Amino acid sequence: MQDALLERLRAVLGPANVLTGVELSPYVVDGRTPEAAVFPGALEEVAAVIALCGQAEVPVVPWGGGTAASVGMPAARAGVVLGLRRLARLVEHEPGDLTVTVEAGVTITELQAALGNRGQWLSLDPADAERATLGGVLAANAAGPRCHLYGTARDLLIGVTVVTADAAVVKGGGKVVKNVAGYDLPKLFIGSYGTLGVIVEATLKLRPVPDAERLVALRFAGLKDAAAAVRALLASDLIPNAVELLDPTAAAALGAGEAGGALGLGSGAVLVVGFDGLPEQVEWQCAELARLAAPHGGRDATPLSSAAWPRLAAAVRDAFPVATAVMSFDVVPAQVAELMEQGAGVARARGFQTAWAAHAGVGVVSAALVSDREPRELGPVAGVLGEWREMARAGGGRATLERAPLAVKSQVPVWDDPGAAGRVMQRIKAQLDPKRILNPGRFVAGI
Amino acid sequence: MATLTSGRKTALRRELEAIVGPGGVLSDPDELLVYESDGLTLFRALADFVVFPTSAEHVAAVVRLAGREGLPFVARGAGTGLSGGCLPAEGGLVISMMRMNRVLEVDYENQLAVVEPGLVNLHLSWAVGLKGYYYAPDPSSQQACTLGGNIANNSGGPHTLKYGVTTNHVLGLEVVMPDGEIVWLGGRTRATPGYDLAGVFVGSEGTFGIATKIVVRILKKPQAVKTVLAVFDQVDHASAAVSAIIARGLVPAAVEMIDQLTIQAVEDAFGCGYPRDAAAALLVELDGLRVGMEAQAERIVQACRDAGAREVRTARDEAERALLWKGRKSAFGAYGRVSPAYMVMDGVIPRTKLPYVLRRVNEIVAAHGLRVGNVFHAGDGNLHPNILYDPRVPGAEARVVEAGAEIMKVCAEVGGSISGEHGIGLEKADFMPFIFSAADLAVMQRLKNAFNPTGLCNPGKVFPTKKSCVEVGPVAYTPHAIEAKGLAQRF
Repeated sequence: MQDALLERLRAVLGPANVLTGVELSPYVVDGRTPEAAVFPGALEEVAAVIALCGQAEVPVVPWGGGTAASVGMPAARAGVVLGLRRLARLVEHEPGDLTVTVEAGVTITELQAALGNRGQWLSLDPADAERATLGGVLAANAAGPRCHLYGTARDLLIGVTVVTADAAVVKGGGKVVKNVAGYDLPKLFIGSYGTLGVIVEATLKLRPVPDAERLVALRFAGLKDAAAAVRALLASDLIPNAVELLDPTAAAALGAGEAGGALGLGSGAVLVVGFDGLPEQVEWQCAELARLAAPHGGRDATPLSSAAWPRLAAAVRDAFPVATAVMSFDVVPAQVAELMEQGAGVARARGFQTAWAAHAGVGVVSAALVSDREPRELGPVAGVLGEWREMARAGGGRATLERAPLAVKSQVPVWDDPGAAGRVMQRIKAQLDPKRILNPGRFVAGI
Repeated sequence: MATLTSGRKTALRRELEAIVGPGGVLSDPDELLVYESDGLTLFRALADFVVFPTSAEHVAAVVRLAGREGLPFVARGAGTGLSGGCLPAEGGLVISMMRMNRVLEVDYENQLAVVEPGLVNLHLSWAVGLKGYYYAPDPSSQQACTLGGNIANNSGGPHTLKYGVTTNHVLGLEVVMPDGEIVWLGGRTRATPGYDLAGVFVGSEGTFGIATKIVVRILKKPQAVKTVLAVFDQVDHASAAVSAIIARGLVPAAVEMIDQLTIQAVEDAFGCGYPRDAAAALLVELDGLRVGMEAQAERIVQACRDAGAREVRTARDEAERALLWKGRKSAFGAYGRVSPAYMVMDGVIPRTKLPYVLRRVNEIVAAHGLRVGNVFHAGDGNLHPNILYDPRVPGAEARVVEAGAEIMKVCAEVGGSISGEHGIGLEKADFMPFIFSAADLAVMQRLKNAFNPTGLCNPGKVFPTKKSCVEVGPVAYTPHAIEAKGLAQRF
C-alpha cells in the first residue's frame, strides 16, 4: 500500500474511517487481505475515494454487509475495500407514492422496519437481511422466497445513483414508477457485483403490508411427487407468494427452528408455500392447496411461524455447520426436481452429503455440499460441482459457484459461460471502467 | 449524408433482394412514403429502402451490408410509436419486422412463449388465451403494435400498475447486433450469467440492435375481475383519490383517469355510460381471487367516497365492464368529435403530485390558447395530456409543441420523468437535459458505444442534438397514408 494514498484517504475521511492492519480481518476474501478498508460518510467522499484510488491505480472493492463477498473469482490484487455502511439515510418515503429513496448502506432489516412503521414494505427478502445492505443486495441481485410473486431487484428498482470509475456521480432511472426516458441504467447495475460503479442511493417501488400472510408446509414421498404438486399449483387460480421445494436435509434445517420441529425427518420432500392478502384469501388458498396437493401424496399440511421466512431463505446454507461449497442454479421450473434429485444422487455416489432447496416456481435452485476430507483432496468435490453444472446446462440452465475453497474455484469456474453476450459485457466494462479500478477480475468473462 | 446515386441504388437494391427475396424490398418513393413517419406525424423522413426480412439471418445480412456501405438503419414494427423513434433519421434502411410475426413456441409448464418481433401484442394473448393465459403489458395500441416495438420502447399500458411494463415480462432476446453478429441476451430462465443485457436492451429504442426472437413470460388469467367507476365533481378530488387508494394498502390492476372534455368526446362518439357533467372519473380495476374481491372493492369505494366522489358504482357484468373500458381505450379516437387534430403528451410524476400538476397542465395549455383532454394512467402517475388544435390555424402546431415542452418541464420539476411509455425518440431528445446531467448522459452514451460503436443503428435518437436532420414541425397535419386509408388511427 502506498503511504501517500493512505494519507490522502485519512485526510478526506478522517483517520477513524480508514482501517488498516489487523482491523482488516473481517474483510479478508479468498485468503486475500485488502490493503485498507475505508468508510465514507457522504456521496462526495465515495467519489473522492474512487478518484484517489483511480489515480493510484489501486482496485476498489465495494462492500456492504459482506454477505456476498465470497461470490466471485479471487481478485488478483485485494485493493481497497470501500464500505458503504455509513451511507444509510432514508432520503424520502412518501407512502402515497409507494416509493422510497434510500442510501445504499442501509440494511434490509433497517429499511423494512422504517417502511413497516408506515404500513409498507420492500418486496425483497434475501437471506441475512440483518446484515445485507440494500446496495449489496442490488449489486449481487440477491432475492428470497417471495421472488415467486414479487420478482427480483429488476422488478423493483426504479432509480439508482452510482459513482462510476471516473468518480462521476451518475443517476439512472428516476423516482417515478414508470419511466422510459433514456437507457435503463438501473438494470445495468443490478447484479453487476460492483464492477461498473458503486451504488450509493436507490429508489424502489414498495408494496402495502398485506393484512395477513402464512407459510404452509406439506410433506411428500419424494421430489417428483412434490414437483407434480407444484405444477398443479402453478396451473391453478391460486396466487402464492412463495413456492419452496426442499429436500429432507434442508427441510430439517428449516424445521429445527419450529416449535414441534422436525419437519424433514426421514425420506421424502417438503413443499413450503406462502400466501398473503386478506385473511379470508389466505384461508381459502391454504385449503385449496391441501386439496390440490392430495392427489400427489401431499400430506401433513402444517402452518409455519413467521420466523420461518428468514430460515427458508437460508435453509440450504444452514443445513450444515460449515458447507464446503454452495452452488446456485437458474433453470426452467420444469427442470427443478430432476436437477435436485440427480444432483443429490451424483454427490451421494461419491460419498458427499448435500442439501437442496429451490424457489420452484421460478427455477432458482441452491445446493450445499459438505466434505470432511482434507483440503488437498478436493478433486472429487470439484468433480461433483462440475457434473452439477453440466446437468443444469443440459436443460438450458446455468450454475454459479457461490462459495467454495480456493482450490475448488481454481478447478470449477465461479461463473457460467455467458456465451457470445460475454463479449458485449466486456465492451461495457471497457467503456465504463477502462482502467479496471472497480472489482477487477471478479466477475463473468474476466470482468 | 450523401444521397445515393441512382446507379448505386439499383445495385444495392439487387443486393438486398438477393438477401430477402425480390418481394422484400421497397425503393419506389411512393411506397417509401408509407414509412416516412410513425404515429407522431410531426416528424417525417424518407428512407432509401424498406426491407422485409423473414429470418434473423436475413436481418444480420442486411445489417452487415448497411455497415459495409455506411448506411444508417432502423428496425420498424407496426409504426404505432409516438416519439418518432423508428424514423429513418438520415435516409438509409428501414428494416420492417412485420413478416417475422410467428409464435414460435408456447411452453405452458414454464409459463413462457418464444415469439418473433413482428407479432402483434394482442395476438400473443389470443394465442395463449384458450388455455387460460395472457401476456400482461397492454398498450392502448395493442391491436396493432408489435412485440418488437414494445421491446424497443419498454411499453406499458393500463394494467402495468400491478403487473409491470414490458421489461418485467421479458426473459431473453435473440438480437442482431449492429455489427451483424447474432447474440442471445438473457434466455429462458429468470437470470443468466453476467450483466442483465436483456434488461438493458429493453427500452433502448432500437439503438442497441434488432431483436429477432423474444422470450416472454405468460401469466395465468386472474380468477376474477371487478371494475369500479368513481365520478367526481372536482378534478382535485379525483387526483387525491388516487393516492388515497394507494395509501390504503391497495394495489389495483389499473387506475385510469378521464377528464370532462374526454368524457364528453367519448359519450358523443360511443355512449359508454360516463356522466357527461362529471369533472373527472376514475376507472379502477381489481383482479385476483374471487374470495375477498368484494371486500377489496368496498375499500376502493370507501377511499373514493372519502376523497369526495359524488357517485361510485361497480360494473354489474362483463358487458358493462367492457363498455367502460371501451370508453377509456377509444378516448383517443373520440377526440375527433371535438377537434380536427390533437397531440398526445407523455410524462410521469409522483402520484401525490397529481392535483398540482394537472392544474399546471391546464394553465399552460390555456395560456397558449389551446384546449386539453386528459385520459391517463393515474395509478402510475403517467400523464397523457392531449392538446387539441386546428392545424389549419397558422402557428397552432408550434404552440402545441411549446406547451408540450412546458408540461415536460413541470414533470421534471416535481421529480418526474419526460416519458412513461412513448419513448424519447426524436421528439424529446432535446428534453433529456431536463432530467439527466451531462454525466448521466455520458454513461448512457458509453453504454450505447458498447452495443453500437459506429452509431449506424438508429442514429439521431434518445440523445440531445443541436440540430436535427429531419424535417421538424411546424408543418400542417396531413393524415398518414395508412391513416387516410382507414387502416390505422392515432393512439
